[in-house]
Amino acid sequence: MKVFVTGMGIITSIGDSVESNRKALMEGCCGIGMLKGFSTRYAETLLFGEVKFTNEELRNMAGVNERGVSRTSLLALHAFKQAVSSASLSHEVISDSKTALIVGNTVGGMCLTDELYKDANQRDTGSEYVASYDCGSVGIFLQQKFGMKGIINTINTACSSSANAIMYGTRLIRKGYAKRVIVGGTDSLAKFTINGFNSLHILSSAHCSPFDANRSGLNLGEGAAFLVLESEEVRDNKKVLAEVKGYANTNDAYHPSTLSDTGDGPLLAMTKALEQAGLAPADIDFVNTHGTATENNDEVESRAMISLFNNKVPAFASTKSNVGHTLGASGAVEAVYCILNLLHQEVYPSLNFNAPIAGTGLIPVREYSKAPLDHIMSNSFGFGGNCSSLIFSRV
Amino acid sequence: MLYIHHSICISPQFTFPEVNLEELVRSTDHKLYAKLIVNPDIPPAMLRRMGKAVKLAVSASGPLLKQYQNLEGIIVGTANGGMEDCIKFLNQIIQYEEGVLTPTNFVQSTPNAIAAQIGFLSKNKGYNITHVHRGLAFENALLDAFMQLDDNPGHTYLVAGIDEISDYNFNIEYLCGYIKKEPVDNVHLYESNTHGSIAGEGVAAFVVNNNQKGAFSCVKALKMLHSTDKDEVEQAFKQFLSENLSDNKTVDLLLSGENGDSRYLDYYRLMEAAVPGAAIGRYKHLSGEYQTSSAFAVWLADYVLRQQQIPELIVKQHSGGNTIRNIVLYTNYQGLQHSFILLSKS
Repeated sequence: MKVFVTGMGIITSIGDSVESNRKALMEGCCGIGMLKGFSTRYAETLLFGEVKFTNEELRNMAGVNERGVSRTSLLALHAFKQAVSSASLSHEVISDSKTALIVGNTVGGMCLTDELYKDANQRDTGSEYVASYDCGSVGIFLQQKFGMKGIINTINTACSSSANAIMYGTRLIRKGYAKRVIVGGTDSLAKFTINGFNSLHILSSAHCSPFDANRSGLNLGEGAAFLVLESEEVRDNKKVLAEVKGYANTNDAYHPSTLSDTGDGPLLAMTKALEQAGLAPADIDFVNTHGTATENNDEVESRAMISLFNNKVPAFASTKSNVGHTLGASGAVEAVYCILNLLHQEVYPSLNFNAPIAGTGLIPVREYSKAPLDHIMSNSFGFGGNCSSLIFSRV
Repeated sequence: MLYIHHSICISPQFTFPEVNLEELVRSTDHKLYAKLIVNPDIPPAMLRRMGKAVKLAVSASGPLLKQYQNLEGIIVGTANGGMEDCIKFLNQIIQYEEGVLTPTNFVQSTPNAIAAQIGFLSKNKGYNITHVHRGLAFENALLDAFMQLDDNPGHTYLVAGIDEISDYNFNIEYLCGYIKKEPVDNVHLYESNTHGSIAGEGVAAFVVNNNQKGAFSCVKALKMLHSTDKDEVEQAFKQFLSENLSDNKTVDLLLSGENGDSRYLDYYRLMEAAVPGAAIGRYKHLSGEYQTSSAFAVWLADYVLRQQQIPELIVKQHSGGNTIRNIVLYTNYQGLQHSFILLSKS
């Protein structure tokens, strides 16, 4: 059974809609800069892909009156609303028992670092956020808000969370557990992740430069994106944006926070996704890479691509140079970008690249251009060796 | 159909390495801690870096991984993963004012570190996923296994449900009203008639495939629902039974997730009434309440189907029947997340 994308929504540091994100990508805009939303020791020494709205503005934009809603949930709501509206899903359809919701998320309410610190260390009075810290809180917030009756799930495989959410949702449709699914991911910037990634020495104080020989690490970002996926049967006459053609999830089984030099997990994920899609490597026209701009990732991913494509690596880029690494949201954010690539038959430039990595020689796309694109691969690799690849196709 | 070939449960009770459900281990201060017996195969240097949830998971899955070396993948359900490490890292952030921190707690704190460690220790490069949907995290792991087996008949998967008690999540759950305010131990859990329950933790790991040969039990069907409407849940339960048990089959045992929280008693009464004649069993005084305690319940159901005997410790109501063929589980997490799981004798 074919599974189609019939709607999408997004909010990132380069825009609060699909259209504004596309415009920024076409123009090579970057949303990465100094942090304004909350205080941290690193607000001015590291760079972040921060969504340019305060929590209050996000609440007003989405019409949220209830208390205890984290920024992670607010970002999710914003993208969710756009997605269901672009797929013309009525309230009735959203709450149907055959409509599922799958959220990829790693931070949950931990963006509320100070509130969590207080609530976790005492038992007198809780803050309004006591029930909003876990990753599941986002999906439960959306479920409650829209009275959803289908399968609801939350997946956390670190940076590949929402790629796995898209995969799980697609399988729910194929296996008959759902007729349509709303799938995506969300994460907000948090002192927790900033300090976590900083302790691993992989954050950059410069704008990240994926696949560059002198890359100096990643920029954390935030955002949310959701897709509406529908089975061939229920899409009616709706406009189809793309097809979810292939997917695979593998593990590198090497190290908790580093990919193996041989890139076994990434190579296996890409290979299995192609198998699942019934495509050959040469069918892939473009790769939206994981491309975090860390020393480890970009070299390993390059080698895996060289091996998979037998030295004929197709055009590729990393949109993390525009929005930073949005962690649990990145798989869904980049899925939206892949679908834009397919819909408009165009590729967006990877920013800040100067010189190829010695030994790989790979050069990402550096200019906006029109291009005939049928099949696009999107990679997401996470801590814990969690590697996923998705393939989206033009319909 | 998902056949259970092997299972290991490390819980607050005597469930590992030998199972003895004759004697009840008592709770202290509203907590039932799992009796961690560490897997001797894990290098001490690696063990030192692991939090309790990861230790529990690798200790339960260790013997399974040894016996089944061709697993296709690892599917984990955990609401919080290594919560202790998570808040330890958070406390460091605040106390050292974001100074130079060591990454160990951070890396161990991500919920996917559990499945990752199992994958790493067994060099398993197959499917590896972590479901974290609070009270339905383990159920989604089971559903995932159902779908994997449908696509890959003949493959074998490890499915596990794990959560740990940390002082911090205990405080948060206390503030949420999930923990009883007055002193109550697990022996008197069901008599308290007040809000909240007692905290628990544990791991249950299962080797599953779609091959009936050699299996004692199978998970036949599974349904999840978010609802705060008792009638809706009751209707869904009845529909689940009628869809999955043909006319001449009956439920022999209802394993109820009753947890001593008076707010949700009505739900359990309705589900009990929907299976007249069935024996009723309860287990939260054994496992304590936690988001993935349904993994303990599935382990217990598999154990009962193997033994063909219901441990006296869990009986709420006897039935006349002798053979136990069908067990249905009803779980209710905080009055919102409900699940029904049907297990049958293989």
